[in-house]
Amino acid sequence: MLRQLWTMTASDIRLRIRDKSVPIFGLLVPFALIFVMNLVFGDTGDTDLDAVTVAAAQQDSGELGAVVVDAVTEVPGIDLTVTDVPASEIRPLVEAGDAQLGITVPADFTENVTGGQGAQLKLIQGESAAMEVGILTSVIEGVTGQFAAAAEATTAAAGLALPPDEAGRIAQQVIESEARVSAVEGRTATEQLGAGASIVAGQAGLFLLFTVGFGVLALLNERQQGTLARLQAMPMPPGLVVLSKALSSFILGVVATLVLLTAGSLLFGVSFGAPLTVLVLVLCVVAAGTSLMFIIARVARTPEQAGVMQSIFAIVLGVAGGAFFPITASGPAGMLLDLNPVAAFTRGLGISAGGGGLGDISQPVLIMLGFAVAALVVSRLVPDRGAAA
Amino acid sequence: MVTMTQHDTESPATGSDVLVVQDLVRNFGELRAVDGVSFRIAPGETYGVLGPNGAGKTTSISMIAGLLRPDSGSVHVAGQLMGPRQVGPKALLGLVPQELAIYPELSAAENLRFFGRLQGLGGAELRSRTDEVLDIIGLSDRAKSATKEFSGGMKRRLNIGIGLLHRPALLILDEPTVGVDPQSRNSILESVEALATEGMSVLYTTHYMEEAERLCDRIAIVDSGRIQAEGTRTELIRIVGELDEIRLDGSGDIAAAAGALERLPAVEHVLTEARTLRLTVREAPTAVAGIVNAAGQAGMELADVEISRPDLESVFLHLTGKALRD
Ligand SMILES: Nc1ncnc2c1ncn2[C@@H]1O[C@H](COP(=O)(O)OP(=O)(O)OP(=O)(O)O)[C@@H](O)[C@H]1O
Ligand SMILES: [Mg+2]
Repeated sequence: MLRQLWTMTASDIRLRIRDKSVPIFGLLVPFALIFVMNLVFGDTGDTDLDAVTVAAAQQDSGELGAVVVDAVTEVPGIDLTVTDVPASEIRPLVEAGDAQLGITVPADFTENVTGGQGAQLKLIQGESAAMEVGILTSVIEGVTGQFAAAAEATTAAAGLALPPDEAGRIAQQVIESEARVSAVEGRTATEQLGAGASIVAGQAGLFLLFTVGFGVLALLNERQQGTLARLQAMPMPPGLVVLSKALSSFILGVVATLVLLTAGSLLFGVSFGAPLTVLVLVLCVVAAGTSLMFIIARVARTPEQAGVMQSIFAIVLGVAGGAFFPITASGPAGMLLDLNPVAAFTRGLGISAGGGGLGDISQPVLIMLGFAVAALVVSRLVPDRGAAA
Repeated sequence: MVTMTQHDTESPATGSDVLVVQDLVRNFGELRAVDGVSFRIAPGETYGVLGPNGAGKTTSISMIAGLLRPDSGSVHVAGQLMGPRQVGPKALLGLVPQELAIYPELSAAENLRFFGRLQGLGGAELRSRTDEVLDIIGLSDRAKSATKEFSGGMKRRLNIGIGLLHRPALLILDEPTVGVDPQSRNSILESVEALATEGMSVLYTTHYMEEAERLCDRIAIVDSGRIQAEGTRTELIRIVGELDEIRLDGSGDIAAAAGALERLPAVEHVLTEARTLRLTVREAPTAVAGIVNAAGQAGMELADVEISRPDLESVFLHLTGKALRD
């Protein structure tokens, strides 16, 4: 039985590669798109940046706390308003969208830095103006990183004041390299990928839906070319045929996604973090995508119909997952967006890129696996229109 | 020509039958496509199912091969109950579906090897069987070409080859010669004859009378989902009794002639096919003069008159009042 399963799976993979559908739609097209979109959106130096309100709670009476907030105001190109508020108001303000970034400089900040215990800031990032906030947080990270380095060199606190143009230089570097590595904590904070990385991740997630979709197309194709009848007459359990399609889709999906992520990260200089964490995320998102295809397999009557449905699913989930531009929403719509496996995948990669390990990606993993199970259940419930045709 | 040496057709089928079909019924909505079909096939026997389009041949085959669940009735292959989930009896069957069932992107040899593996063949056995079958179906020299480049006849032959790869106890061929050029058709019929001679049991459906007559030890005549009659060719023709067939070719008012002839006492059935009237007639030699007269009076101008002994088509016409083919 396993031999039969593998015979069908291997033959399927070979056919998909031979007819070039997977190499083209699973790798070539997404790669070209990533490349083009990176040219268009990746050059943030030309992008108009939005106005940003920063809510700052300055609890530090030392000099370093002030330097941090000053450094933020020095960032060129961003129309910035800094409001001084008590620490307790920062979270409500950010959550209400009245501020896009909250900075709490703790009372012992200067003391800790000069004492060599490291620079600890509390940042809360809102859901809008992700790119601008990303630049600001990178600047803050650059500044605090310098503090830490300087403290280790036991330089006097007074000598640490950052020249005003220094902040600008860091910001410029950040903008040019797009390496918006997040040093931020809070709900969405560690889940942000840089623009280039987002595009790579989102496109990989989108085209994965096409790649796994070829399994369904193959199944409908077998029905149309008559081979399904012959397969059903073979001495094996009837479910094995569908299982082999799912397996070949899954394998092709995993391979194509890993290749895209690897090539994307090499070419655009982005990192998605620990390989094992990335692999787990890829396995989960491919499982979610594959199970979605079972619904199509039952609802579609012809390969053409399946192709259309597959494109709709892929584009909707891909766009909502940020394959073309970052999408954020709050309230019920935001929750719905959060349940999108492509979005969960991108978010998971964000966590992993920010240094998160297997333990930190449980939420996106659960969303993707939950989606896979839900799709399988739905596929059992919808009428099998294809078989009736 | 397959001769009837192994079976006395009168003998009731025994427990050793490769196939026992009992009271199969299958409905599609309001339509009863198969309506109580029962028959048996003994080892080494070639059994024909002769019937027109829509008679229920493919639906019956689908239930026999375990692709379709019957609404009622049962199928046993070598004593094992068949059904969509039954792996054992499926291994004993070789199905050649009416619709082509091959992968166009794969070569002939790849198609054979793929299905051979699913049938449980492997290694040297699979390789030698693939070569043997390619030889039987006359595709050895095209073994490596993608089948999408094949002619219709070549595809049909490969379709059959896949069914016999694993030396099934029962080979099921569902109208294997439809849409095939005469040369390929003849080579298909020869292959089936050769397999039957080697002792393979065959279930063969067709709407070509000549194929059923040439290949089959016993024949079931089916129409509207039912077996109308079953037996050897001789037995079936005996049903028509002393009835002969008279063919009238001509022009003029053929419809009126048909109406007039139907009223003659000697005429059993009248079938109109374009400019030809086919009559089933008692005592043709004595009736023919009256028939020619009546046709002339009704306004038909005769070009040709032919009297023939009954064949399976006459039997079908006698049983159903319809032509086997339209
Ligand atoms: N899946 C189906 N759904 C609805 N009706 C069907 C289905 N399959 C067959 N039928 C109907 O059942 C009847 C018998 O069809 P079947 O294919 O068994 O005939 P057949 O004898 O094989 O004809 P042919 O010589 O044309 O192949 C036909 O009226 C056909 O329209
Ligand atoms: Mg048929």
